[in-house]
Amino acid sequence: MGGLKVSRRNFLMGGAMISGAGLVRAANIKQRPWPGNRDDVNCAIIGYGPQGRALASTLARVPGARLAAICDTYDPMLLRARRDVPEASRHTDYREVLDNPEIKAVLIATPTHLHKDLAIDALEAGKNVYCEAPMASSIEDAQALARAARDAPNQIFQVGQIYRSNPQHRSVFQFMRSGAIGKPAMGRGQWHSKESWRRTSPNADRIRALNWRLDPEVSLGLIGESCLLQMDVAFWVLGELPSAVHGFGQIMAWPDGREVPDTVQAVLQFPSGLHMLFDATLASSFDEAYEVYFGTDSTIIFRDRGKAWMFKEVDAPMLGWEVYARRDRFYKETGIALLANATQLDAQNQDPTEDDPNVETPLWYAMQEFMDNHAFGPYPPAADWARGLEATAIAVAANRAITQRTHINIDPAWYSLD
Amino acid sequence: MRSVRLALQAMATRFELLMYGSDPVALRAAGEEALREIALLEKQLSFYDPYSEVSRINRDAADRPVRVSARLFSLLQTARACTESTKGAFDITIGPLMRCWGFVRSTGTWPSDQTLNAARAVTGMSLVRLRGAGRTVEFARPGLTIDLGAIGKGFAIEEATMLLRQCGVASALLHGGTSSIGAIGTPPEEPEGWPVGIADPRDPSRNAATIRLRDEAFSVSATWGKAFRHKGTQFGHVIDPRSGQPVRGAALAAVAHSSATWCDALSTGLLILDPNTARSVSDTQDRVRWLTGYRKADGIAYHSQGIDTN
Repeated sequence: MGGLKVSRRNFLMGGAMISGAGLVRAANIKQRPWPGNRDDVNCAIIGYGPQGRALASTLARVPGARLAAICDTYDPMLLRARRDVPEASRHTDYREVLDNPEIKAVLIATPTHLHKDLAIDALEAGKNVYCEAPMASSIEDAQALARAARDAPNQIFQVGQIYRSNPQHRSVFQFMRSGAIGKPAMGRGQWHSKESWRRTSPNADRIRALNWRLDPEVSLGLIGESCLLQMDVAFWVLGELPSAVHGFGQIMAWPDGREVPDTVQAVLQFPSGLHMLFDATLASSFDEAYEVYFGTDSTIIFRDRGKAWMFKEVDAPMLGWEVYARRDRFYKETGIALLANATQLDAQNQDPTEDDPNVETPLWYAMQEFMDNHAFGPYPPAADWARGLEATAIAVAANRAITQRTHINIDPAWYSLD
Repeated sequence: MRSVRLALQAMATRFELLMYGSDPVALRAAGEEALREIALLEKQLSFYDPYSEVSRINRDAADRPVRVSARLFSLLQTARACTESTKGAFDITIGPLMRCWGFVRSTGTWPSDQTLNAARAVTGMSLVRLRGAGRTVEFARPGLTIDLGAIGKGFAIEEATMLLRQCGVASALLHGGTSSIGAIGTPPEEPEGWPVGIADPRDPSRNAATIRLRDEAFSVSATWGKAFRHKGTQFGHVIDPRSGQPVRGAALAAVAHSSATWCDALSTGLLILDPNTARSVSDTQDRVRWLTGYRKADGIAYHSQGIDTN
């Protein structure tokens, strides 16, 4: 990955490019029809917790997808599967799914530490695989899975770093890369929620399995389980991976015997010199989740599924197009909306600051990319094994820095394969 | 016995959950899962969120059959059954009528005959085609919309209480805006059930009745608070979908039933129906308790079954 290069020349080129496009336009914003000569792809979901259910409800709306089987080891989840997708077969043994030649695609939404074995078995069974992020809970597991995916080039392996497929993010990405921010100085991201992260069941044996996120042996903590997608966007827009991380973790809100911190801070140090702070907490929902990048000419904030606003410094050069752009007030600041299809929406008399009714969710676009790959691929998806390995290795390092309250240099070998 | 209270802002109201049990950590975990489900349902059922399944139906179903999730399809089938059971008094396609009467984000205006007829032409569950084979929804005409607001809270409470039970919760009360309630078991040392007051339409600070809920749901619909005057007559913000006119009859309808979804639909329906029809509709339901109150010159005339007024 190259660093974010900002010069006067490419800044102006970027501005011209955006102006010519009439603000940004997402290339991929409309649904594409599924090729008429293609059968629907029989899919199976392994793991029917909240994320498995989100995958199921999304697949129901993606052209080309047919959810044929659902696998979970916990009966209440299979009961929900029966209600949600009555036409899908239900299994407690994932081998039954892998042995079924009719199933072409397997979507893995189990606890993180179970991803590696399931995904490798699925690849070995010849299935195309969508694996939720993080793709593993250790660097060794992530490398093993990445190696298996790399060595199966005729099969699809897509990681659930969904913003990579999101046209909203892709369009805002252009603003960042155009240099409109000036010289990047620092970044900050947050993920805030008021919840205990605990799960429960009348079955005592099940409680430990359900609470894998609170098990320090296997959990990547808040930084890995909640911030990874946002960190992945940072790596993408900054165009570089961190070389070191310093972390802090505390138990502030839920002193219920847990060891996994409920409040964390991680400072990522990038080779360009830029530092980015991620903080996450289960104590407060204030302002939920966003990432903000501070530069000498402007500050850009990403939030709400890829929406973004730019806050210009008074001495920043005029970009031209921003004269026509929509502005929103944020307390005492005025943000210029950076929205895919903004001009188009304005022409349709729709408020670009509202949700665009023509836009799908990031998960939908990720599923669409996965299904399109069945029809037109296989080709490396935007979130392929390499992006998955990078993000996972860095999340492992960040979680280690947090739990040990220390500074860790990130060895590029952690996200490289032999 | 320990108690845990949780709350959630969703569906334009505040949901509150009170649970009793021996392990507060487990109670909270169960409650969080239940409230997460309500938040998820809001995203699925919202009339206003353009990403919701309901918005997608409203946008596309006049052009082509829209495939929907099994859970929403089942809810739409329930909504249709509720329409039939209430003889058309409950109807999720009432949106165009509500808008033409100015009841959406406004206090109300008297529509012209032309406007009213246009709205009536795109109102009615008979214009919504539900096809089980492909699990699709299709509208017979452009302009039709569905709005699950009248049963969304009840449905969310029904789903959430099911999850609470699956998590082992044996004593809980969940309400949405105090008008839709789901009860699990009984509170400690109150074996007769959770006490719930039904406010008096003349003086909401007083209770017209108090009922006890035990593994039962409850819903109350009322016309007070939202009304407008036209030529000296006061009209409430409740429309009879069959006539297209605001209701001038019941001031209050309350229903206790095993299903929170049905409670919501029946209380809305009973508010609209005349006393005799309301009784005949209620009589067709199993294990239902209900109360209706009609304004009279000298007070409120109550009709009820299984609920005693104070």
